[in-house]
Amino acid sequence: MPFAIALLVLLAAACAFSSTVTQGQSYEYYNAQYGERTAGLILALRLDDAFHSWWFIGLSAALCLNLLCCNLIRLPLLLKRSRAFANPESFISSGSGVTEACGSEPEKLLKALGMPDAKEMKTADGRRILFSVRNRPGLWGAWVCHLGILLLILGFALGQMTGKQFTVYGLPGQTKPLGDTGLLVTVNDFQAEVREDGSAEQFTAYLIAEDPAADTRESASVSVNAPASMYGYKFFQNSYGWGADIRITKDGQPLQTEAVCAGDFLAVKDKPELVIYFQAFYPDYVLIEGSGPSSQSMLPKNPAYLYRVYYQNQLLGMNALQGNEELTIDEYTVVFENPRYYTLLAVKRDHFTWLVLIGGIITLAGLVLAFYLCPTAVCAVEEKNGIWRVRAKSSKGGVLFRETFEKAAEESGFSMKGENEFASG
Amino acid sequence: MLQAENILFTIALIGYFIMTIMNFAFVIMKKEKLAGTAMILQTGILVLHTAVLVLRGLSARRWPMTNQYEFAVSFAWALCLVSLIFIRKYRFPVLGAFASPLILLIIGYASMQSREVRELMPSLRSSWLAFHVSTAIIGYGAFGVAFVLALIFLFRSRIKEDGFWGQHIPQPEKLDMISYRSVSLGMLFLTLTILTGAIWAEQAWGSYWSWDPKETWSLVTWIIYAVYLHLRLRRGWKGKAAAWFAVIGFVCVIFTYIGVNTFLPGIHSYA
Repeated sequence: MPFAIALLVLLAAACAFSSTVTQGQSYEYYNAQYGERTAGLILALRLDDAFHSWWFIGLSAALCLNLLCCNLIRLPLLLKRSRAFANPESFISSGSGVTEACGSEPEKLLKALGMPDAKEMKTADGRRILFSVRNRPGLWGAWVCHLGILLLILGFALGQMTGKQFTVYGLPGQTKPLGDTGLLVTVNDFQAEVREDGSAEQFTAYLIAEDPAADTRESASVSVNAPASMYGYKFFQNSYGWGADIRITKDGQPLQTEAVCAGDFLAVKDKPELVIYFQAFYPDYVLIEGSGPSSQSMLPKNPAYLYRVYYQNQLLGMNALQGNEELTIDEYTVVFENPRYYTLLAVKRDHFTWLVLIGGIITLAGLVLAFYLCPTAVCAVEEKNGIWRVRAKSSKGGVLFRETFEKAAEESGFSMKGENEFASG
Repeated sequence: MLQAENILFTIALIGYFIMTIMNFAFVIMKKEKLAGTAMILQTGILVLHTAVLVLRGLSARRWPMTNQYEFAVSFAWALCLVSLIFIRKYRFPVLGAFASPLILLIIGYASMQSREVRELMPSLRSSWLAFHVSTAIIGYGAFGVAFVLALIFLFRSRIKEDGFWGQHIPQPEKLDMISYRSVSLGMLFLTLTILTGAIWAEQAWGSYWSWDPKETWSLVTWIIYAVYLHLRLRRGWKGKAAAWFAVIGFVCVIFTYIGVNTFLPGIHSYA
């Protein structure tokens, strides 16, 4: 157990410390935040991705091994203990942790203890025994809980190793590949239910997934908190953003019109070294002195498009275009128009989520068994003079059970005996 | 309805203040009658406090546990409820004397938060919200009581057996058992919180576990209390060491609730 405690403390410390380091950032980020030396240390110790690092996985694996060994070692002991708990003979011969009282009406005491259904038996020398046991499964609480945690970690690890997760985003009408699956996802429509105050109530994406190789397609609508399945993948409405059409004309002639999400780049068709970066969109644009551009609401009342223009990877300029303002770059004219939401979908396939869920439920069941089923056994043995000796044992009740027993004994006219006094049987 | 809620909230706040004073008077003047009155007062305030939550829920037309104010009010309510149950069950009025300042502190924190009723963001519009947050509230309430019991345990080791405290504070073995009961209640509900949260996160974000700071700190809290439970089984570590872990556990609870939102923003930033 000291090893398990040390592991738990280490894991808690590792989790707590890792949560203070921003995860998944680059060296430049850490350098700017903490300085060169610390940044190097963060990357060397994999603190940038702490929960997938070798040391965190090692700690988790050690905990699993510890849980497994603990459960394997304790299984035969628990089986023996569980059998012994239900056996009045072994109960009588064992003197440890037993509370004892003497009196004449054992049924009354058993009833006061809430254990009226006692079995009547006889000892080897012919004395009568009343024996009652309750909540025996409570002995298994910690064992079941450990098993649940093991399954949970196993399911999580298997899911991480074999599962697939993608992020797809697109404006209505756009078709995007779904990672390396060969599937295509088309955003047929994306609707946002907006309240009077401009805040969002619900987002719904209408999707079509297509398998070009098999020439099949499936469709579904996905809302926040209401995922849908297609081709064995689960689609989740995860986030949203703004996008728009970028229309480019060359010498007054239409050149290209493409739907672009904020945060994406668009290379000019006949001059790919000229790139327009759609940095951000402000639906209700306002320039706040000191803090820069902002949006007053979610409604496109005063749209503004923040852009950057690059030529051969060199920044040519940046600015914000309001409404239908045009941007002229030599012979090219660029217009941003038709602003609308794009959907960001999380797509996932994890064959072991069920194992995690089962592990969680078993852990919970184990805790209920451990905390709320207090195994208790009461054995009343008739003495020669008509007096009954009642002995009670509670595996987790401790001093609180002793108090309950004393109270019940007093109410039933029994006198208490010192703990463990009945050692000779 | 919001006005009625505000009035009841203020009355409850004053009630908690009086209750704390009364409990202090009980331990200073050593008059048991004061403890009895404080307990009756606590029962009365709990009814008022429940009314505050009901009115909030009715005016917001949802479960009142989605922002710092609502969660603090619910947290204080759970602490009040669980402490009252433990005071009555174990006939332990000193627990009230130690618990009332903590309840007052939390309800005081609630009074400093914005009481504006805001509409929920889409991801919070789920039936899992009620399960997830209400289990957290009960769990936190139970851990709060365990924290108070741990303080009493640590305090007990410094006092004389035959004095007022010796008479009114149970023996260490019993105190440890009561603390264990409180931690086990909290542990069960924290496990439920993590489980329901994971099911909900899977539905809303497509990932039942993202190592978001709130999730991570809930796990840290769970582990600390698991250490407490293991320490209790070890001879020599039972008692004081376990009590210290109950204190550390509650520090983690408070950090998960307030600290994470303040210092470690993540996808739970609204909570």
